[in-house]
Amino acid sequence: MKKKILVVDDEKNIRLLLDEELTDEGYEVIMADNGETALKMIEEEKPDIVTLDIKMPGEDGLNILRKIREIEYDLPVIICSAYSVYKSDFSAVAADHYVVKSSDFDELKNKIKEILSYEP
Amino acid sequence: MSNSDMSGNKPAIDEKTETRLKQIRSADIIIGIPSYNNAKSIGRVIKAAELGLAKYFPQHKGVIIVSEGGSVEESRKSVEFLGDKRYFENSFISRPSSETEIIVTKYRGPSGKGTAVKAIFEAGKILNTRAGCMLDADLRSISPEWIELLIAPVIKKNFGFVAPYYSRHKYDGTITNMIAFPLTWALYGRRVRQPIGGDFGFSSELIESLLSKEVWGSDIARFGIDIWMTTVAICENFRICQSFLGAKIHDEKDPGKDLSPMFRQVVGTIFSLMDIYKEKWLQVKGSRPTAIFGFESEFAPKPIDVDIENLIDKFRESVPRYLPVWEKALSTENYDKIMEVAKMDTDHFELPIELWVKSLYDFAFAYTKRSNGLSADEIIESLVPVYYAVTASFVKKAQNLDCHQAEEIINQQCAVFEKLKPYLVNRWA
Repeated sequence: MKKKILVVDDEKNIRLLLDEELTDEGYEVIMADNGETALKMIEEEKPDIVTLDIKMPGEDGLNILRKIREIEYDLPVIICSAYSVYKSDFSAVAADHYVVKSSDFDELKNKIKEILSYEP
Repeated sequence: MSNSDMSGNKPAIDEKTETRLKQIRSADIIIGIPSYNNAKSIGRVIKAAELGLAKYFPQHKGVIIVSEGGSVEESRKSVEFLGDKRYFENSFISRPSSETEIIVTKYRGPSGKGTAVKAIFEAGKILNTRAGCMLDADLRSISPEWIELLIAPVIKKNFGFVAPYYSRHKYDGTITNMIAFPLTWALYGRRVRQPIGGDFGFSSELIESLLSKEVWGSDIARFGIDIWMTTVAICENFRICQSFLGAKIHDEKDPGKDLSPMFRQVVGTIFSLMDIYKEKWLQVKGSRPTAIFGFESEFAPKPIDVDIENLIDKFRESVPRYLPVWEKALSTENYDKIMEVAKMDTDHFELPIELWVKSLYDFAFAYTKRSNGLSADEIIESLVPVYYAVTASFVKKAQNLDCHQAEEIINQQCAVFEKLKPYLVNRWA
């Protein structure tokens, strides 16, 4: 069965790019353009992993991350942000990994593969 | 770890205190303060606990218990000194309708923090409390908010264990940074930044689980108690989170100048737990983060000076003494590399992190298996100079970095522990 990835990003182009890249890797990709929708999708769609942008309209990604940890304690989350500065925010430690967005998706794809192979 | 002392299985609460607790009948929250002659600082901690209960949990009945290993009279005087409790008015916090009961008791059993903690857990069980927290008695940086941060995740979010997350100077907490944090990360797959922090929150279910273990007469009943509780919470699948408490101001130590029995007891406990929970950690692959609550303040922790040359000298001076132990405890490859490091001049001195990780795994294996004729104490003692060497290497690397950058190095080192875990698993097999 295909692993399901929820991509949370307010930028349409990034969502489409990630959709294409991750679908090519054999994953099922679902998408949300804001935190509120993402939280609903997490409860309804039960994704295996989430990629989460930080700077979004409404609630920022770090606040969404805190809420995710309350509803789905062990759901893997990778922060995928254009900014590296949030890496030193203490809230970011609740993410499995922090990737700075670039045109090269290899780091993100490798991390997704690695995290999905973990055994608790 | 020494064999279990039978007295560790007896109640740590005395009859008089038990009677008083039974008169109180029940409480929602217990705040425990393990103390050993901390009369000078304990008043501040009790005040913060009372204010925190009144401000954040006004609808809940709370009890504060000081579990004293030293002079009960002095601690009681500190409580009496709180007097008319004007600090409620001064803090703009309404007094609770019924005053919070403060009990000072002398615990019974092996002396040490573990027994003090046991007495507090027993009190929590008698009172049928829903949640609680433990606070170090010598805290100088505590505020009432700590009570909310340590207890609210249990009461409001259903967590079982709340670990502290402090803002610390890059050279503070080297046993945590070099050993406890990375081993918890790599072995049990859970990234808990302060697994030996003294201030934590807990649920009633965790109290039940911890009290049922037969470890209370061992070394765990001293400094090993914090890492033991964290490890049990992880391995027994309690929901764990962290709360950001800001700075923990305490008497900082240069890691080369004051290495107390704490090292032996913390590291000994970690190694002993590896044997107890081997079925768990041998299965774990990868690592998972831990939820975090709180508000980060921009506060620069007080700088700590570390004498790098002293650390390196201590390592070099120890080499002849510990050679026979290292020969037995370390793999030939790691032994040879450590000998190379011992010959390095101070300017170029470095114990590579990969070598530290593999050597620590060797020591853990030797400690647990003991098939080499070495005693537990010999193994831990011989680890100390290697720990000095890796601490010196870290301090050199972090010299020109700010605390966030140093933190990044610590995280990278943890990733090396995780990457090299198959080395330990293979040795174990």
